Amino acid sequence: MNIYVINGPNINLLGTREPEIYGRDTLEGIAIDCQEKASKDGHIVKFMQSNYEGEIVEWIQDAIMQKVDAIVINAAAYTHTSIAIHDALKSYSGYKVELHISNPHLRESFRHVSFISSAVDSVVAGLGADGYSHVIDLLSELPIKVN
Amino acid sequence: MSNGKLLIINGPGLSDLSDHNEVANYDLSLSVIEQKCIETSGKFGLEVDFRQNDDESELLSGLINDINNFDAFIINPAALSKSSVINYDAFSSAISEISNQSKPVIEVRIENIFKRNVSKPLQVPESGLGFIGGLGKHGYVLAIRSINKKLSNQ
Repeated sequence: MNIYVINGPNINLLGTREPEIYGRDTLEGIAIDCQEKASKDGHIVKFMQSNYEGEIVEWIQDAIMQKVDAIVINAAAYTHTSIAIHDALKSYSGYKVELHISNPHLRESFRHVSFISSAVDSVVAGLGADGYSHVIDLLSELPIKVN
Repeated sequence: MSNGKLLIINGPGLSDLSDHNEVANYDLSLSVIEQKCIETSGKFGLEVDFRQNDDESELLSGLINDINNFDAFIINPAALSKSSVINYDAFSSAISEISNQSKPVIEVRIENIFKRNVSKPLQVPESGLGFIGGLGKHGYVLAIRSINKKLSNQ
């Protein structure tokens, strides 16, 4: 099974950006953790981060072309603004999980709207950095139609 | 010896999950979910109390009375979050109290509530409430794993 983990703007600052909200784990550390877990079961995780909306859209299109089995997407601030990412996700027919380190619904009201949530199969938020590896673990174990 | 006590509460309407079978490719029922929760918790040595109540007042008072008796909480509010303001406020303050005690608490929804806009997630500012929706019974498994990790890091 092939899984793309796509991360949006400012997630490259993880570990230094508001650690009281996002924790002290770095994105590199999280990526290694996910890749190790997945490879144990023979799965491949490609971990990506971009500060550019268009690049994220292209990665989703790439997942469509490459017939990737699942996408885990933390679109970060683009969650609340990007119709382009919403549309790209709609065109992707594999399994889709929206992931957030913190829970946006407990934060500023401008984070209460997500353009991603209605385009994905499931939403996981507020489990901290460990949310990534928990989601990868679960996807690795399950038949692709998770529900 | 237990490594922790977990309370799982399921709100009004969850006793009958037959209308959820559309989103699940297996026969989903509350007892299927309960079995999965017991199995997953057992692996981690967590003791689990799995409850469902269609009466929100009873469910609420049960939660409030038991905050001090459990180490972690999973809440599927179901129709509860559509309920009266008084119940919603009491529910929110219970979640705040759980968070103040630094105990993990996660909202789990069987379906992706954002797809059909059937219901809103709980909004308890300043709390550590987690959210999982759309993973069917596996959402509970994910929540239990996350809770176990948090409890073992404490």
